[in-house]
Amino acid sequence: MTSPARTSITALPRGHELPPATFTLSSTQGAAYAAAVGDLNSYGDTVPPLAVVALGLAALQEHIALPEGSLHTSQEVEHAAVIRAGEPLTLTGRIAQRSERQGFIITVIEFEIGPASGTAVRARTTIMAPGGAA
Amino acid sequence: MSVAVRPVVRTLTQAQLHAYADASGDHNPIHVDEEFARTTPFGGTIAHGMLVLALIGEMMYATFGEAWSASGRLKVRFKAPTRPGDTVTASAQLVKSGDGAAEYAVQCANQRGEVLIDGRAAVAGAA
Repeated sequence: MTSPARTSITALPRGHELPPATFTLSSTQGAAYAAAVGDLNSYGDTVPPLAVVALGLAALQEHIALPEGSLHTSQEVEHAAVIRAGEPLTLTGRIAQRSERQGFIITVIEFEIGPASGTAVRARTTIMAPGGAA
Repeated sequence: MSVAVRPVVRTLTQAQLHAYADASGDHNPIHVDEEFARTTPFGGTIAHGMLVLALIGEMMYATFGEAWSASGRLKVRFKAPTRPGDTVTASAQLVKSGDGAAEYAVQCANQRGEVLIDGRAAVAGAA
């Protein structure tokens, strides 16, 4: 599952800036996300807030490979503005922390997502990956 | 502000894991490839952490609406895997409120009472 264009998360140093990613979350995608998680809320012309984070994480994985045995161990999310369906969004991110413990590399990815008007979501994702994996 | 948050209870299925993989773009085989997952220490597929966390997001949005989308904060740890067939209860207990803001201890637990996710959620600006 590792594409040559991607870098293993274990090889990324603290401070590494990830390439910006752009994407949109259409009302159809928002509805598919809500259906997948079983969410019965009505979001009107907005999208489920965590759907934006989930798609952001998927966008990050276009650049970052997670070795087998990697675990998503914690998540922080700070919503700063409602996101409307179809708004073009830009994600910027970086490796905020990197440490080693008991053979695992623990990496904190910090990223922001928002439309042109500013940041709508800030997030910090912690991934624990086997240290010996490439 | 002191608002009771109604729990969300849901039984997760393998079909739901596939649907979530398609919706989110996260097709990690530990979630969707049952044959592969049997060879891992988990012994089978496990739900995406963000899929389980979505129950907390759903619960908070159901209570606070766009105030959650515009000001909600979450800080959680994924403590244990969630497996297809697990019935997950997302719940929130108020820990502090004032000045139009509230903070809750949130968690997801399975039908055996095992805590899958725990942490804090805060929201501002709700009436």
